[in-house]
Amino acid sequence: MIEIKKVGKHYGHFQVLSDCTTAVAQGEVVVVCGPSGSGKSTLIKCVNGLEPFQSGDIVVDGTSLAAPGIDLPRLRARVGMVFQHFELFPHMSIMENLSIAQRKVLGRSADEARERGLKLLDRVGLRTQAEKYPGQLSGGQQQRVAIARALAMDPICMLFDEPTSALDPEMINEVLDVMVELARDGMTMMCVTHEMGFARRVAHRVIFMDQGRIVEDAAKEDFFGTPRSERAQLFLSKILRH
Amino acid sequence: MGYHWNWSVFLQPTAAGDGSYLGWLLTGLQWTVSLSLAAWLIALASGTLVGVLRTVPNRWLAGLATAWVELFRNIPLLVQLFIWYFVLPELLPQRLGDAYKQSDPLVQQFLAAMVCLGLFTSARVAEQVRAGIGSLPPGQKNAGLALGLTLPQTYRHVMLPMAFRLILPPLTSEFLNIFKNSAVATTIGLIELSRQAQQLVDYTAQPYEAFIAVTLLYVLINLTVMILMRRLEHRVRVPGFVGGGQ
Amino acid sequence: MYEFDWSSIPGALPLLGKGLLVTLEVTLTAIVVGIVWGTLLAVARLGANPLLAGLAAGYVNLFRSVPLVMVILWFYLIVPQLLKAVFGEGIADIRLTSALVAFALFEAAYYSEIIRAGIQSVPRGQVAAGLALGFTPAQTMRLIVLPQAFRNMVPLLLTQAIILFQDTSLVYVIGLSDFFGTAYKVGDRDGRLVELLLFAGAVYFAICFAASQVVRRLQSRGVQ
Repeated sequence: MIEIKKVGKHYGHFQVLSDCTTAVAQGEVVVVCGPSGSGKSTLIKCVNGLEPFQSGDIVVDGTSLAAPGIDLPRLRARVGMVFQHFELFPHMSIMENLSIAQRKVLGRSADEARERGLKLLDRVGLRTQAEKYPGQLSGGQQQRVAIARALAMDPICMLFDEPTSALDPEMINEVLDVMVELARDGMTMMCVTHEMGFARRVAHRVIFMDQGRIVEDAAKEDFFGTPRSERAQLFLSKILRH
Repeated sequence: MGYHWNWSVFLQPTAAGDGSYLGWLLTGLQWTVSLSLAAWLIALASGTLVGVLRTVPNRWLAGLATAWVELFRNIPLLVQLFIWYFVLPELLPQRLGDAYKQSDPLVQQFLAAMVCLGLFTSARVAEQVRAGIGSLPPGQKNAGLALGLTLPQTYRHVMLPMAFRLILPPLTSEFLNIFKNSAVATTIGLIELSRQAQQLVDYTAQPYEAFIAVTLLYVLINLTVMILMRRLEHRVRVPGFVGGGQ
Repeated sequence: MYEFDWSSIPGALPLLGKGLLVTLEVTLTAIVVGIVWGTLLAVARLGANPLLAGLAAGYVNLFRSVPLVMVILWFYLIVPQLLKAVFGEGIADIRLTSALVAFALFEAAYYSEIIRAGIQSVPRGQVAAGLALGFTPAQTMRLIVLPQAFRNMVPLLLTQAIILFQDTSLVYVIGLSDFFGTAYKVGDRDGRLVELLLFAGAVYFAICFAASQVVRRLQSRGVQ
């Protein structure tokens, strides 16, 4: 589904990503972790072309991002993304947030978009909030809406960029629950997160990054059992101590 | 000082025989308002475009937009007006220039003043639009793009609606400025309020009444605009939204 | 096609230079008087006396809702009467005097708004600290608050000065020969209005653009 091949990226002399290679198969849930500044958020943003890269290639469902003249809006419409700071559109009601891209990008009618939106709000438990505005919801609720907004596009896979790190602790679980359910339904997911409990519950594989490189890429059991690299061990011990 | 006040002067028939002096004032008011509104439309449209261009990733377009802003911001309004009114018709292709110069003087004055005021103000509007876009959280653009919206769609549906809400107060003062700046058109003879004030002085020899009346009309315009804009601000207010952050 | 002829400019340079001096005289007077008078207005508006605060607010709002052109015309009307009342007859050309008065009083309204915002940007704890040291409220304002406020305001005050420099061209409406007025008269005299107007525009642009770059540099230094 997602193939990342020898991807490299630099700002001037500063190497942000070097030689990153991995793949996410259909229905697979992959957690990407690592210390801050390790390039994990940059890597996930490369997958839907929000960050350009200079070398290597990423292929999403047969579409190469490095290909000249690639239709980025079309690719992005098929890849859902959830952001650290939710990024709901504050001037639109929850329902408008869910339907704007369905109508403008997929060409669905207002009724169709609304119906699909309501169904997804139901799924994240927020149907009654449809006419409210983002500023009137809690952070956890906003993030659940953001997940519903991405799902409304019927994506073939979902990217999560630290979806719980801007949340108050008591709201983290309501968001993780939605993500767990999504994983169990067979959604292909690539999640940048430090929530190791989530990784243990639903991830198939864990990728550990440091200084722009993929240091470890292992099945969940192996990663939590016996991480091979010293840096991953150090990282895990730090995270678990919190 | 022995000044002889005479407020009934406004009801007297004009020396030119075209109604009363009050009628002159109202004509002036009409020209001031229509000139300002027409110029505001130009300013808002071109200012938004230029302001958006200053934020796009293309260096040429952004540079062009910067040049636009610097050009219209660093030359006095009066000089710009004289260039539009006296210089440009000379530089047009002969036939076009002649057609312009033979048209109704009022049309010439209005066109020059409208384009001049509009573009002069567009530079200021552009700066506000740019600042508004700049103060949005950077993730908003990414969120729009990640949903598959094109860059223009993201500007149109996601960034500009929010940016305009943020810059409504400074835009209001630019809107007020355009009414005040429209008085500059008196220098090329357009019969807006300030020109009518001067005419009244010449014709009636009651300068204080004329100036007080015109000053009050400007204050009235000011108040009206402020009330309307406050209403607009109230109408587009986003529920639950505080400040520029999330 | 129009044929340019720039030959009347070199000979007119001394005249234009004199005009530029008038422009600078009006600008500098308005800056100095405007800032002093504007500071008093701002302090009055923020002060405890409601009558003074109301009067200052009325002054500022009135001047800010009337076009500068009207203000110049107003003072061209009033100033001669006042001078006549004070000095009797005999003052020949009151155009410059009335322009100086008009610009100073008009700019004070705009400067007072900038200064008011500057004063409000100083944390309230500073006032408390000043009073706690035993300063009177007036001393606290003069020694503690205003110096900090002015430091914050420098870029805005300078930007306003650039706008003012451009606005002085409006003395055209009372026929005063500032830089622009002189350029217009020379152009009109020689039948070379196109060239003189373009030249005037270029000079204003060069001065204002350079000044605004300096302000920008000051601003970015202030941020650090």
